[in-house]
Amino acid sequence: EELSVVGSWSSLPLYKQYENTFWTETLPADSNGDITVQMTTHDQMGIGGGDVFRLLSDGVFDVAMTVGDYAVGDAPELEGLDVPLVANTAAEAKAMVEAARPMVDDIFETRFNSKVLAIAPYPPQVVFCAGEVNSITDLKGKKVRGSGRMTTKFLEALGANGVNVAFSEVPGALERGVIDCAVTGAGSGYSAGWWEVSDHLMTIPLGGWDPVVTAMNLDKWNSLSAETQKFITDEITTKFEAPAWASAADALKNDVACLTGNGTCPAGDPANMTLVDVSDADVAQAKSILTETVLPEWAERAGDDWVARWNDSVGKTVGVTVPLN
Amino acid sequence: MIFAVTASLLGFLALSIPVGIVLFLLGIGVDQFFTPFPLLRGLGQVVWSSSNSSTLIAIPFFVLLGEILVRGGIAEKTYEALDKWFSWLPGGLIHANIGTATMFSATSGSSVATAATVATVAMPQAEKLGYDPKLFSGAIAAGGTLGIMIPPSINLIVYGFLTETSIPRLFLAGLVPGLVMAVAFMLVTVVLCKIKPSLGGQSRSFTWSERIGSLRHLIPILILFIAVIGSIYAGWATPTESAAIGVVIAMLIAAFNRGVSNDMIKMCLVGTVRITAMIMLVIIGAYFLNFTLTAAGMGRELKDLLTGLNFSPMGTLMVVVALYIVLGFFIETLSLMVATIPIIVPIMTGMGFDKVWFGILLIVLIEMALITPPVGLNLYVVQGARKSGRISEVMLGTIPFVLVMMAMIVGLIFLPQLALFLPDYL
Amino acid sequence: MTNTLIAAIRRTNRIIALLVGLVLTGTVILIIAEIVLREVGISLGGAEEISGYVMAGVASWGMSYALTELAHVRIDLIRLRLQTRGRALLDLIAIVALAGVASLVAFQCWPVLEKTIERGSRANTTLETPLWIPQTIWLSGWVWFAVSACVLVILSLVLMMRRDFDQADALVGARSEVELET
Ligand code: NA
Ligand code: NA
Repeated sequence: EELSVVGSWSSLPLYKQYENTFWTETLPADSNGDITVQMTTHDQMGIGGGDVFRLLSDGVFDVAMTVGDYAVGDAPELEGLDVPLVANTAAEAKAMVEAARPMVDDIFETRFNSKVLAIAPYPPQVVFCAGEVNSITDLKGKKVRGSGRMTTKFLEALGANGVNVAFSEVPGALERGVIDCAVTGAGSGYSAGWWEVSDHLMTIPLGGWDPVVTAMNLDKWNSLSAETQKFITDEITTKFEAPAWASAADALKNDVACLTGNGTCPAGDPANMTLVDVSDADVAQAKSILTETVLPEWAERAGDDWVARWNDSVGKTVGVTVPLN
Repeated sequence: MIFAVTASLLGFLALSIPVGIVLFLLGIGVDQFFTPFPLLRGLGQVVWSSSNSSTLIAIPFFVLLGEILVRGGIAEKTYEALDKWFSWLPGGLIHANIGTATMFSATSGSSVATAATVATVAMPQAEKLGYDPKLFSGAIAAGGTLGIMIPPSINLIVYGFLTETSIPRLFLAGLVPGLVMAVAFMLVTVVLCKIKPSLGGQSRSFTWSERIGSLRHLIPILILFIAVIGSIYAGWATPTESAAIGVVIAMLIAAFNRGVSNDMIKMCLVGTVRITAMIMLVIIGAYFLNFTLTAAGMGRELKDLLTGLNFSPMGTLMVVVALYIVLGFFIETLSLMVATIPIIVPIMTGMGFDKVWFGILLIVLIEMALITPPVGLNLYVVQGARKSGRISEVMLGTIPFVLVMMAMIVGLIFLPQLALFLPDYL
Repeated sequence: MTNTLIAAIRRTNRIIALLVGLVLTGTVILIIAEIVLREVGISLGGAEEISGYVMAGVASWGMSYALTELAHVRIDLIRLRLQTRGRALLDLIAIVALAGVASLVAFQCWPVLEKTIERGSRANTTLETPLWIPQTIWLSGWVWFAVSACVLVILSLVLMMRRDFDQADALVGARSEVELET
């Protein structure tokens, strides 16, 4: 069986350490050569992140993975997979994703004609600021480079200005004061040198966890034998999804150590950013903005049926209820 | 696969099928013969996502800017002024060509737009003053390529986008190599015309008062440069937005010079649409071909080739440079960049080469590709501006400048500071 | 008959090009407005997204004008060395290839809009633009390009059968970029 597989961003650790290894080495080896893989990534193919699952639904390739948030243009209900600020640790994020899994399965089957195989996280999307900030509410009036629609909407509800800046332009923009703060993964921010131009770090997941969904075209999936289906499911759960999650918790701890200098930094020389201690009261206030403004707006986009389902699954797990109209 | 694609590419091009269409045909061929997956079903999505691009809109903006400069009479005045300053050199007006191309490069992000602008104002002079057409037109084709090295530059924007490199840093890095090449183009012209004076026209001398008087005609270009580049570094505008600023400033200058009329605006607009569509057909076709080639495993073939050699970083660099020179003969430049950058750049940075530096090196190679036959867009643009003569004359005329570009590549390899000095110390 | 049809298609494409140019001008103004407002602290957002849609529309709707103006780049090294009939043959091959590809692209672009309509897709931005609007404009540009190209195939066949090679050359021959400037 030859599979055509499209990975997420080729420059990021998730692809380099887990996706590429799993699909091109682990799976073919464990299947004793029954499964072979042709692997590429969407950025190498020159297609947009939002097109990946569209093309998967047509069977242009067999397996594809990309950030779920990229596909919400076609499936607004999928925004519920990655609500900012409700999961603060890797364990909480994992619980959130697991609670959302049945919903995501259904979304992918109906919207993208595909079968979800795994959901793995990018590192949490944290906040880098140039200039002093001491709480989430301090972001009010500041120009913030967000990531993802719900984060931008949250920033607007908070009274901050959501600004659209490309990843590579962030250091220059922070330096020139075009933006005050920017959201990205802690590890990406460290390796891209954002700490050179910013001084305060908030480790709240303002941008969520950007879960990456791996899915297989449904026609392809149905053409596989039950044994092969089980083999692939087991393999991907134990040898891709589990290690990717396991590393997420450590990665955040190490990345924060690298950025602040508190603790050991395996990646290189530590920086000395100030770690902002976000109080529980602060988080509670942010969550109230989320439930009063941002999530009800999402309910309008996604429809009450999906949101009721979200309340019963993800909402219960993270302790948030979206008021329905 | 690579061989079959290259052979069909040459065959289709020889049949004079439009270049953009050839790229689509090759993509369809790759889908039919080299992969079991139904890639053709992705065609529509690829066409949509490659053209729905707020980066590429800089192309029509820069083309429009050039059209306004030509039709508003600004380009002609600039050319006359540079003629007064440079035509005493051996080679005469050829230096005005290079100088004008350099100045327009500082306001335009596109080599094709730059070459078209300069060719339109310069070509009538060549015939009038009896220049040898080879070196004269070669200088315009080569000078035009500076459009993507001297900031602003669409190709550098695309490189920055594909490799996540800061575009303002890339722009700074391109400035010195661009100016050095401009000076080198002039030097090589002087040397050639010293050896064989018939290559150039007669040198012409102007009085200092004429020269000083002509300086005011350079002011519009200076204002444009400051507006376009300044707005980026002041943090007011993104590189794409700065192109829109350039269009408005050019229009204001043309209006100030009383060069604006209804007809002029109409001509500028339809001219822009025509040139943009011509470029976009090639770019969209190139995206589709890249999509099919990547899905069919070209990335792996190329990567295996490069990593399988087990060369030292310097050896690999040599192979990459050679690869781009060869591919540059046959492949349109933006498509060449889109197809190869996601594969080549990670390999090069993995070997310790600087991403900004490699971007500048790559731009020199891309400049070369623009003037090497059989597929060299600038050659065709310049040939189009001539009323007579064969294209082989333009091709011959670019050879000295291609040699300068090769020297520039060597220079960048042994003196990376040529590119990195400005971005590192500013 | 052929002459009036040729004149009509040229005139139509020129009007289209002018309209496309005006939309482009509007986008320039929109971007400038956003820059100015941003400097005084009002953030509109959206100009970047809209300019992407404009680019898609400019590209697709400009194709047919570039076609009737003979602006799509052709490498004519061999063509220049041929006699009238040889050139006519190459021109015919070129326009047939172009018409075929244009039709295929137009045909394959429809499923993109179809999916958008089916799913009610909106842009993944804060503007939440309903994507059927820009995609309808974009798709119809490709359809018009395909239609124009197919009409040119028929017209050039008619002209060549009449041995009217000069007219055929003017219709689907090769010109270079700047030669067309008037
Ligand atoms: Na330039
Ligand atoms: Na070339």
